[in-house]
Amino acid sequence: MKKLLLSAVLSVPLWVFGQGFQVNLQGQKQIGMAGAGSALALDEASVFYNPGAVSFLEKNSISAGVNPLLFKSAFKQTGSNITENVKNKIAPPFEAYAVWGPKSNKWKLGLGVYTPFGGLVDWGNEWSGRYALTSLNLKAIYFQPTLSVKITENIGIGAGFVYNHGEVNLQRALPVNYPDGRSGHATLEGTGSGYGWNAGLYIKTLSNITFAVVHKSKVITKLNDGTATFDVPESLRTSFPAGNTFNAELPLPSTTTLGIGVPLSKSTTLAFDASWVQWHVYKELAFDYAVNTSALADTRSARNYRDGSSFKMGINHQASEKLALRAGVGYAFSPVQDGYVTPEAPDADRYILSAGVGYAPTSHFELNASFFFEDVKSRQQKNIETGLDGTFKTLVYAPGLSLTYKW
Amino acid sequence: MVGDINMKKIIFNSLVAATILFAASCKPEIETPAATTAGTANFSKYIAIGNSLTSGYADGGLYLEGQKVAYPNLLAAQMATVGGGSFTSPFFSDIQANGSGYASLTALTNGSPTISQITTGTAYVAPGKLAKYSGEIQNLGIPGMRLDLAFDPTFTFSAANMFFERLLTDAQVGKVNYAAYIQGRNHTFFSLWLGNNDALGYALNGGVTTDATTVLTEKATFSFLYTNMLNILTAGGQKGVVATIPDVTAVPYFNTVTPAALLAAAKAINPAAASIYIQTGTGTVRAATSEDLIRLPFQTAGLFAVPNAAGYFYGLDPRNPIANNWVLDKDEVVKVKDYVNSYNSTIKSLANSKGLALADTYTYFNTVKAGISIQGININAAFITGGAFSLDGIHLTPRGNAAIANVFVDAINAKYGSTIPTIDITKYRGVKFPDSK
Repeated sequence: MKKLLLSAVLSVPLWVFGQGFQVNLQGQKQIGMAGAGSALALDEASVFYNPGAVSFLEKNSISAGVNPLLFKSAFKQTGSNITENVKNKIAPPFEAYAVWGPKSNKWKLGLGVYTPFGGLVDWGNEWSGRYALTSLNLKAIYFQPTLSVKITENIGIGAGFVYNHGEVNLQRALPVNYPDGRSGHATLEGTGSGYGWNAGLYIKTLSNITFAVVHKSKVITKLNDGTATFDVPESLRTSFPAGNTFNAELPLPSTTTLGIGVPLSKSTTLAFDASWVQWHVYKELAFDYAVNTSALADTRSARNYRDGSSFKMGINHQASEKLALRAGVGYAFSPVQDGYVTPEAPDADRYILSAGVGYAPTSHFELNASFFFEDVKSRQQKNIETGLDGTFKTLVYAPGLSLTYKW
Repeated sequence: MVGDINMKKIIFNSLVAATILFAASCKPEIETPAATTAGTANFSKYIAIGNSLTSGYADGGLYLEGQKVAYPNLLAAQMATVGGGSFTSPFFSDIQANGSGYASLTALTNGSPTISQITTGTAYVAPGKLAKYSGEIQNLGIPGMRLDLAFDPTFTFSAANMFFERLLTDAQVGKVNYAAYIQGRNHTFFSLWLGNNDALGYALNGGVTTDATTVLTEKATFSFLYTNMLNILTAGGQKGVVATIPDVTAVPYFNTVTPAALLAAAKAINPAAASIYIQTGTGTVRAATSEDLIRLPFQTAGLFAVPNAAGYFYGLDPRNPIANNWVLDKDEVVKVKDYVNSYNSTIKSLANSKGLALADTYTYFNTVKAGISIQGININAAFITGGAFSLDGIHLTPRGNAAIANVFVDAINAKYGSTIPTIDITKYRGVKFPDSK
């Protein structure tokens, strides 16, 4: 029976989780399992992974964790012999959850604060793609109050409202030169917000195999009155007026996940997640400036993402009462089509490897650590809009730590 | 307690493993497809034959900054990674860095440029005479050099052209022509981008021939002399790259001051202005069309709309038209294009028969005229803002030089199987904009 189910899952056509700006670091235990776990009622991170599983958590708990992420990207112009690297900048994806409900009742309340999308890339002001981008710092912080209800002993449903606080800082060099030869520079900075929801279904079968269906809605994040700062020679100031502002919109995609949890033994559980990320909403990156001039038109840069997908498999082994060990592998298909790869998201299909360890010194405290690694495949591209022509290669490293208090 | 010790061990070992993994494979690597090689070419001694474009002439002058970023110099620097040797150029000294003097953009008022001439720090020792340069030279580009005058049988051009005269010993002046001058240099590789002025000299004079530098070289003469030139350069079996001649109408010099722009300016003052009148090469006076090209310096010549003695406004009345030498009229445009096409057929067929690489700058300039995005930079043939052309509207900015040098790199690599790395054009500037209002 188990074998049949496994093969059924593995033969599902390859859809699931692409990446782009997606950050797959939302719960230390699940991270250790490559991000799989929607069909496991592992801990309070189910608020994110599957609100339907929250009502199956035995204890109330509160946790917080951080996963300092190092995004190491390299670029080599086509035909060049020089490889350029991004600067070492550590992005701080974090997650905090709380789950509470009256003991042995059928419902639980949850709150999640996490960073499902983001990007921190700093190529520096001298690299050869600087007229396309010098740096991007994008943060999306989701706040998600959640209600989960156990409909039967075997079925749980849950849903949460999502509020997104977004921040973006996008910079690039402008190909106009000062008398000393240096280039102009543009900085677009703003904050915005958006709304969405997250709902999930958790089913526990008689054989203890668990299933999950989760949908996280798209969140259209609107940035209004961001500041547009242009450093240009004074003779061009009338073309790039000071104090300009812009409006923009960043559609963060919806994700549909199917998950399976398979208990291999009393202490060991396998988890599979297949996710489909509807990135097709990211059609363009448009900036609408408050003041336009002959040199400064509103820009509409085509992105034309297609849907992305990912497969993740993780294992959780309770080695002793206090110690848990985890590992995971995954593969993700990029949503970025040929011709649209940009230095702000030098995306390609990627492999995921992870490991994790959990330690519970008492029945109240739990410490979890993880290490998450992504190998983004090398990709040679010529961007349709900017003509930036070269090969990108990226490795992602994210060690993480979280602390949980349960009662 | 046993569990605790195990746990500590495991955490410790995991941390060590993670650290090792981190340190070992932290930096992403991009593989280079092939080892660097000169292919079947030998770049140990490269010489560049040509005119102003080869010399690094820009902004209406030859000066040190331009010389340093001339496309042969950028090319030679890249060749160095595949066995290329040193490359010497007749650089002006630092104290005379402004060379012949050059144009500088000093203000931009509502998009209208003020261009001034830099006259300090130049290399003049007398009017029309530059300080001599002696020593080994591999960038042999001479502003104003033409294919026909390279074989000047009278040797007078060596004295008449101050940039050529500068490189010659007193004994050579008046006794040598360019074809003879470039010989005996033991080169192993050459670039030849010559012949532009055989058409451009005529065009820049509005299609009027007034002296040897404004002749439109006969097609047969061009073919004969180009063959001779290549025979000289390949006498020792050397390999090289030849470049086609860009369409003279692809440069801002002929596309900035348009009849439509002049008419709009006139209408702003006198709404009754109906047409711009020109005198054509055949002496006819007629209303200008968009196919008639007016030379860039007309903008600042101070002639337009000035009334003559009879009260007729210059260029706005058929009785006081824009003179022939300011206009490359549409028939002259057709004529020059036809000659350039013929020159290019010659160049391509000789490149082919002699097994030389061909840098098709004709096609590339047309691409730039239409506008192109390279590594995030939009470049086009617009005057000042286009980024590729310097303030004289004909010669290249450092950015334009880098772009054209890559055309040579690609051509050489394609022909000889070499792997000369391309140049990062983002490191090179366009026009400098003044930083005051």
